[in-house]
Amino acid sequence: MAAAVPAQTEQVPTAGRLRALTGDRLALLGAAIVLVVLVCALLAPVLAPSPEDAGGATDPVNALLAPSGDHLLGTDQVGRDILSRLLYGARTSLRIAVEVIGLAILIGLPLGMVAGYVGGLLDDVLMRVTDVFLAFPALLLALALAAVLTPSVGNAAIAIAVTWWPWYARLIRAQAATVASSGYVASARALGVSHARILLRHVLPNSAAPVIVQASVDFGGVILTAAALSYLGLGAQDPTPEWGLMVSQGQSLFTTQWWVVTFPGLAILLTALGFNLLGDGLRSILDPRQVTRDRHP
Amino acid sequence: MRRYQGIAVALLAALAAAGCGETKQPAGAPPGSTGADGAAAATSAASASGEAAPSGNAPTDATFTYANGNNIVTDFDPATSYSNEVIALNNVYEQLTRYDAETKTVKPLLADSWTSTADGKSWTFRLHPGVTFHTGKPVTAAAAKAAIERTIKLKGGAAYIWDAVETIQAPDDATLTFKLKYAAPIDLISSSTYAAFIYDTTAAGDGDLKKWFGQAKDAGTGPYVVGAWKKGDQNELRLEQFPDYWRGWEGAHYKHVLFQYVPEETTRRQLLDSGQASMADRLSPQLFAEAKDQGRLATAERPSFQNLIAFLNTSHGPLKDVRVRQAVSKAIDYEGIVAVLKGSAVPASGLIPEGLLGYKEGLAQAKDLDAAKTLMGQAGYGEGKRAKLLLTISNGDADQRVVATLLKSNLAEIGIDVTVQPLEWQTQWDKAKSTDPTKRQDIFVMYWWPDYADPFSWFVNLFKSADPPFFNVSYLVDPAIDKQIDALPSLTATDREAAQASYEAIQTRLLEQAVAVPLYVVNYQRVLQKNVSGYVDNPAYANVAFVYDLTPTG
Repeated sequence: MAAAVPAQTEQVPTAGRLRALTGDRLALLGAAIVLVVLVCALLAPVLAPSPEDAGGATDPVNALLAPSGDHLLGTDQVGRDILSRLLYGARTSLRIAVEVIGLAILIGLPLGMVAGYVGGLLDDVLMRVTDVFLAFPALLLALALAAVLTPSVGNAAIAIAVTWWPWYARLIRAQAATVASSGYVASARALGVSHARILLRHVLPNSAAPVIVQASVDFGGVILTAAALSYLGLGAQDPTPEWGLMVSQGQSLFTTQWWVVTFPGLAILLTALGFNLLGDGLRSILDPRQVTRDRHP
Repeated sequence: MRRYQGIAVALLAALAAAGCGETKQPAGAPPGSTGADGAAAATSAASASGEAAPSGNAPTDATFTYANGNNIVTDFDPATSYSNEVIALNNVYEQLTRYDAETKTVKPLLADSWTSTADGKSWTFRLHPGVTFHTGKPVTAAAAKAAIERTIKLKGGAAYIWDAVETIQAPDDATLTFKLKYAAPIDLISSSTYAAFIYDTTAAGDGDLKKWFGQAKDAGTGPYVVGAWKKGDQNELRLEQFPDYWRGWEGAHYKHVLFQYVPEETTRRQLLDSGQASMADRLSPQLFAEAKDQGRLATAERPSFQNLIAFLNTSHGPLKDVRVRQAVSKAIDYEGIVAVLKGSAVPASGLIPEGLLGYKEGLAQAKDLDAAKTLMGQAGYGEGKRAKLLLTISNGDADQRVVATLLKSNLAEIGIDVTVQPLEWQTQWDKAKSTDPTKRQDIFVMYWWPDYADPFSWFVNLFKSADPPFFNVSYLVDPAIDKQIDALPSLTATDREAAQASYEAIQTRLLEQAVAVPLYVVNYQRVLQKNVSGYVDNPAYANVAFVYDLTPTG
């Protein structure tokens, strides 16, 4: 019976999307950077000249060597190869980003969907709760939380996720509310389809596109925030290879041993930039309104 | 004698300045500054030319600017002051004596001479005649007695240094006698950086003296008086010359002293480069090396009386087993730690830094990985059974962070997994004093330095048993060592050779038992303008620049 109502989605043909993506040079650049970061993260054990330096190993005798043939990006204060730590650092950053955005969606998606679909008092209550979280500057709240928890990569991810989910809840709520008032949902209801099924079959697929866009844009933001927390000593702890931590360890050496802080700093900059460019590109492709606006300015 | 020398030096300085005249000024001008570069540079240049014309003397209006990484003043009360303000207060107040780290002897300051009885329980000081407080009141034995008695009574800061004192007597204006409960080296104690200042207790009249000090006022005898204090400002504290200073102002001296609060070390370095600061406290070894290599600034370095110690938990956890502790002390790459700190650390020999009573050569620990592994095996660890330890360090201390990274990596080699927890000092210390022993750390890393030039504070605070624990974060309970520690002050006051032997014996025992592991001695590195002459680092007064002893040139 339910099959009589086909799930409708407002989709642009896939081929058209790809064409749009390849036509956007900045998005392509972003995609290329992201690809490089992904490859670095995946192949870190193969690419890193001294993988043990990403772990607990130290080599005091070779501390603070300038970039050279032996150490392409130099060594840090305890003699670890910076290139190796940078490559493994890509893993840490991506891990945090995936965890944070996963958690944020896991919390925000069901709450937003239910709020938007059910509406009324429940909607009010849930949205006021998200407002409370949004009222604090995200970094400040994450800082406070991270300071309470023992500093570690996992706890940093939790602290950031707590500040991140309300955005997803709001985003999905708005979509879900629109979908909930659409004709096909009304028909499904009239046909006696269960709420759970409507949420899963109609509301969820039709609210997903903006979430994907938001997630891809957020990757860069989360990586930046995580780096900030680690920089302040509230995130990753030595010897975990983490770019923010590496920057903080190298900052006092900036005028004398520039390579310790510069390379992890560049890694953060490029990665955040890459994800932002890609996210923007995806937005203009996946968001139909944006596409229309772009075509008829 | 002292005054005579002062006049001779002044004459020489005057001759030199007259001889060189104008040509000396460009050479002495701060490098990188064209005169308009900064306020301080401009004033020093102006003052130099101003004085050269009429008198032919060295600069008479020079300002010594000390860029410091910490807030300068937290407590103006000379009785309770126990923080960074001593770098200023030691130029405003004076003690009865001063410790000379070069000769390892106590030298006269407000007291010209002193004697003690053979049992070390009675000490008599002769005060220098004709000294007045900044308040105008003469420094009599009665005034000195009142000052020390107030310090003892307030029980703040380092007042404990006077614990041995039973009574103080002032039979006449120039004679000050201490009667002690037990023998103690009062000559050394009265040279303390903290809690040993002689000040005018009547400065506030009928008012509350503590409040009076709190208004940035002073009642000292030193060469400088407190001028302006702007809390939180970069130019936090200004001192001015006290014209009636008892040692006189013959010769070239700085007229003003400015203490700047500059938390960023790169900024301190820039202030030096532009000539806006005369001296900076510790810079990173890299910045120090850079300054030294460039040669435009003067540098001074000296091993301090401050060492970094890892305290091993002898009462709970894996380190309760002496073999594990010994394994830890043999697994540490001491040379590596010193190498990584690039000049800001020198190897430690035992728990007492060189220059203090009780220091002994040849107590340095060395890495011996095989022996460490054997000890771990004997203690029942090995393949499949690793020990887990919690190490706490002070958050924000870059050197401690580096050391913790190395320790973690060293101990991993002998099957010990270390979790490093950087904590705020108060949290780190509270955790160490936790009433539940299971909540305490396994390894506590902390700096220690003495309040006066004597090693006793390491032992009485760090290794004498105390329950509940205070600073003895190894939680050692060893009645034999307690007894030896208790005997140290008397020995120091009466028989220094016996005291030396006792310190050596205690250290040997503590190191054998691996109660604590001395990691390194901090090397103080200073960067100064080349036109500051006469700077000698005195490790007994950590970070203090005695500005009266410095000469502005150029």
